[in-house]
Amino acid sequence: MKLSELHVGAHAEVTSVGSEPLVRRRLMDLGLIRGTALRVLRVAPLGDPMEIVYKGLYLTLRKSEADGIGVRLIDTESAPEAGEQHLRHRRRFGRAS
Amino acid sequence: MKGRQEITVALTGNPNAGKSSLFNAITGAHQRVGNFPGVTIEKHEGYVDYKGRRITVVDLPGTYSLTPFSPEEIVTRRYIIDQKPDVVVNVVEGANLERNLLLTVQLMEMEVDLLVALNMIDEVEEKGIEIDVKQLQKLLGSHIVPTSARQKRGIDSLLDHILRIGDGVIEVGKNKLTFSPEVERAIVKISGLLSHETALEGSNHRWLAVKLLENDREAYHLVQQHPVWVRVELALQEAITECERLHRTDPEVLITEDRHAFIRGAMQECVRQPNAAKSSLTDYIDMVVLNRVLGLPVFFLVVWSIFQVTFSLGAPLTHGLDLLFGLAGRALEPLLPDPLIKSILIDGVLAGVGGVVVFLPNIVLLFIGLSFLEASGYMSRAAFVIDKVMHRFGLHGKSFIPMVTGFGCSIPAIMATRTLKSRSDRLATIMAIPFMSCGAKLPLYVLLAGAFFPPATAANVMFGIYLLGIVVGLWTAWMLKSTVLKSDSEPFVMELPPYRWPTLASVIFQARMKAVMYLKKAGTLILAAVMLIWASSNFPRSRDLEAGLAREKSRIESSSATPERKAAELSEASTKAQAAQLEYSLAGRGGKILEPLIRPLGFDWRIGIALVTGLAAKEVVVSTLGTIFSMGHAGGGAADLASILRSDPGFSQATALSLMVFVLLYIPCVASIGVMKKEVGAWKPVLIYTGYVLLVAWTASFLTYRVALFMR
Repeated sequence: MKLSELHVGAHAEVTSVGSEPLVRRRLMDLGLIRGTALRVLRVAPLGDPMEIVYKGLYLTLRKSEADGIGVRLIDTESAPEAGEQHLRHRRRFGRAS
Repeated sequence: MKGRQEITVALTGNPNAGKSSLFNAITGAHQRVGNFPGVTIEKHEGYVDYKGRRITVVDLPGTYSLTPFSPEEIVTRRYIIDQKPDVVVNVVEGANLERNLLLTVQLMEMEVDLLVALNMIDEVEEKGIEIDVKQLQKLLGSHIVPTSARQKRGIDSLLDHILRIGDGVIEVGKNKLTFSPEVERAIVKISGLLSHETALEGSNHRWLAVKLLENDREAYHLVQQHPVWVRVELALQEAITECERLHRTDPEVLITEDRHAFIRGAMQECVRQPNAAKSSLTDYIDMVVLNRVLGLPVFFLVVWSIFQVTFSLGAPLTHGLDLLFGLAGRALEPLLPDPLIKSILIDGVLAGVGGVVVFLPNIVLLFIGLSFLEASGYMSRAAFVIDKVMHRFGLHGKSFIPMVTGFGCSIPAIMATRTLKSRSDRLATIMAIPFMSCGAKLPLYVLLAGAFFPPATAANVMFGIYLLGIVVGLWTAWMLKSTVLKSDSEPFVMELPPYRWPTLASVIFQARMKAVMYLKKAGTLILAAVMLIWASSNFPRSRDLEAGLAREKSRIESSSATPERKAAELSEASTKAQAAQLEYSLAGRGGKILEPLIRPLGFDWRIGIALVTGLAAKEVVVSTLGTIFSMGHAGGGAADLASILRSDPGFSQATALSLMVFVLLYIPCVASIGVMKKEVGAWKPVLIYTGYVLLVAWTASFLTYRVALFMR
């Protein structure tokens, strides 16, 4: 499912970020990576850019840009931040000697 | 290194992290604005004398990251690498630490002498967020100073830390983030290869390797020039295949995700957020301001207010300045004996300076309004609301406000395009702006529509003219964006910052900077051009005409007419002489040379002169028409210009329409061309654009004239 297909109010988790390089880079820099839980907040009055919220950040993007973001709906009742748990926790980072 | 007198500090941070406020709090009034070489990004530099030392602070543009995709990020990166500031201060917004730390992590990777300013600490306390600064320091390896630019807290402590880092008293930990094993293996391999390349000696090999794996354009360019590239490319290919096999994604994504994972870990260890995520004031405001029904009305209300403030509030000030210059002229007049010197000083210099200065109230007011919108957070929301319309013409939502401003005056409008980040978006917007019919063109429309159309139709004619301008402007932008400016559109991906009250100081500072910039850069050019046009409409002087006027004057003086009659005859004689002199001048000759070119549009040489002098400022078109058409008119000063034009055989309804269209579309005034050159950065595109507008104006006027003749 694509981010652009979500309705206002939907909760979802990012499964892939595959927009064109420039957009993808910008999205990832703003912390929209695989595993991020987000909510669709609203669409603009004229129906195009949409606003999503995740990790306390309010982000607007055009639907054409949201097309490249794969999402899957999450159950908000049981775990509001379910998405966060799917972050890869491979190892702790720290100082290298 | 120790105890140097001067220390250079670079300020970095996310947009909206309060970087500029902190910069203002540190440097106070000791600031100047320049540009970074090659780009139109403003470079704010300031200094502070602290404990007998001079600390120079460079405010780098706000960025979320250090990729080479946006000019801001390239500027930031190049500055840090090439200029090697003694200390890099990373301003982070305390209440949004997680997002801000991405830049911090990337600065750590660059191994600069980093100091973190944990800014807006007052907001952190208000929200009840607890940050374990000590533990975070341990994880990041650099010192963290809590600051609040608004409350002027922590500034001295920040400066102390800067001095100590600059002097080497504090050793900044050279942190090395470790990435996923496959990425790490590739980094070790590639940096090993790079270290054997003598040409790359002195650069940070590990950082370069990470950047190469991130598919970084600039890093590629750097390494591709050297023989080692053959082996590096192979290693990169290997890494990509490996990541694809193990994680079904590329190294770029893995590296970014690793950074975020590190930040996530640090957040969990060091930050306690109060659980209940209450709706903030911003949420409530946005419920109204971005509402599906109310969003557009609110948007138009805001744009209308900005317009009103700029031009209605500015009008009396502009008028006052105009009066002031007029008074100065009249005060000066009796002091100057020679008529030529008088003309140079009053009509040339004084009028030229006046012509530049009268725009100042508008510019200052507009930028007070715009920087208020920008700093309060509404500007991004305006772009959000209107983007769909603008995007249809290939433009960005942020193009709207500058374009609307163009209806008042192109100059501040062109200057306001600086909010647009991508160069192609900016250029397209700048080139659409002159078609938004500016206030100076209005007197001509009023004159012509009033003279040649009944009142009911006149309003429709004027509306049609404005509409034509909008259509041609948007068409121009669309055409540019779908051909020469196709590349490099800014993605709309944009953060909506929380609403904040801008500090008065920063709003005033912005407006002052714009005013100074306008006066300094545009002022010189505009002044020179206005003088040139003045000279061409006054020279060469005809001795015969001057002698004739003198004869005429003495004849009138010695005649037996009543004093009133004498005064009227005198003024008529001098108007006639003025008109004849204008015809004799370079501008007059230019008008005559132009005649064959503009004949098809229904214009004779007299209109040609008005078009030439109109290059100085569009209001001048009306006054030139006034001077030149009253020449040879029997009624003299008794008739108003509208009826003179109506009764003139060279002027018909079709001519009037054609002239309005031409003035709407043809070359903008020299002032806007000057500002355009300044903002575009080169003459060539401006000159090509000038040719284009002339072509468009000619074609549109020709069609208008022919259709109007046919309809009659």
